[in-house]
Amino acid sequence: MDMKIQWETNMDKALARAKAENKPVFLDFFHAL
Amino acid sequence: MDAVTYPQHEVIEFVNQAVIPLRVAYNTEPLATNFNLKWTPTLIVLDPDGKEHNRTVGFISPEQLIPSLLLGIAKVHFDRDMFSEALANLETLLLKYPKSDAAPEAIFFRGVVKYKATHDAKPLKQAYELLDANFPGAEWTKRAYPYRLLP
Repeated sequence: MDMKIQWETNMDKALARAKAENKPVFLDFFHAL
Repeated sequence: MDAVTYPQHEVIEFVNQAVIPLRVAYNTEPLATNFNLKWTPTLIVLDPDGKEHNRTVGFISPEQLIPSLLLGIAKVHFDRDMFSEALANLETLLLKYPKSDAAPEAIFFRGVVKYKATHDAKPLKQAYELLDANFPGAEWTKRAYPYRLLP
């Protein structure tokens, strides 16, 4: 089991994976405190 | 989110399996402008073409994140007329997380999805009755109020 979320950091790569894997994208805009 | 929600095993498993997780800083351009970002955390569910289908602003607990994402995934399918896929995600949400914050909206959209798929109005009335019984006074109960008059 993965021990953490496997975040993508690039929109184009995330969308390419989304199309290939037929999944939605979960986009998190964050602000590191 | 980093300290409380994202480290939870159930959240990790669900996110890695069900969606493509993408994380960017609040000032990443042109994304911040394109998505009209005003506050963080902002969590958005997109379809594979990059179109937005659901958005939340503010902290979400581990107990609420998965149902919130299931609702967002269902909306992606619903907006694309993929009613059986939308219904499957809504049913999962309501089976596993029936008391979650996303549940009332899921009940509402389950009725709408069933109606869109069958043109039978009964699921709309059933949605209102279920909402009124379990979430009286909730926003989505009020939105379903006219459905009480359906035959």
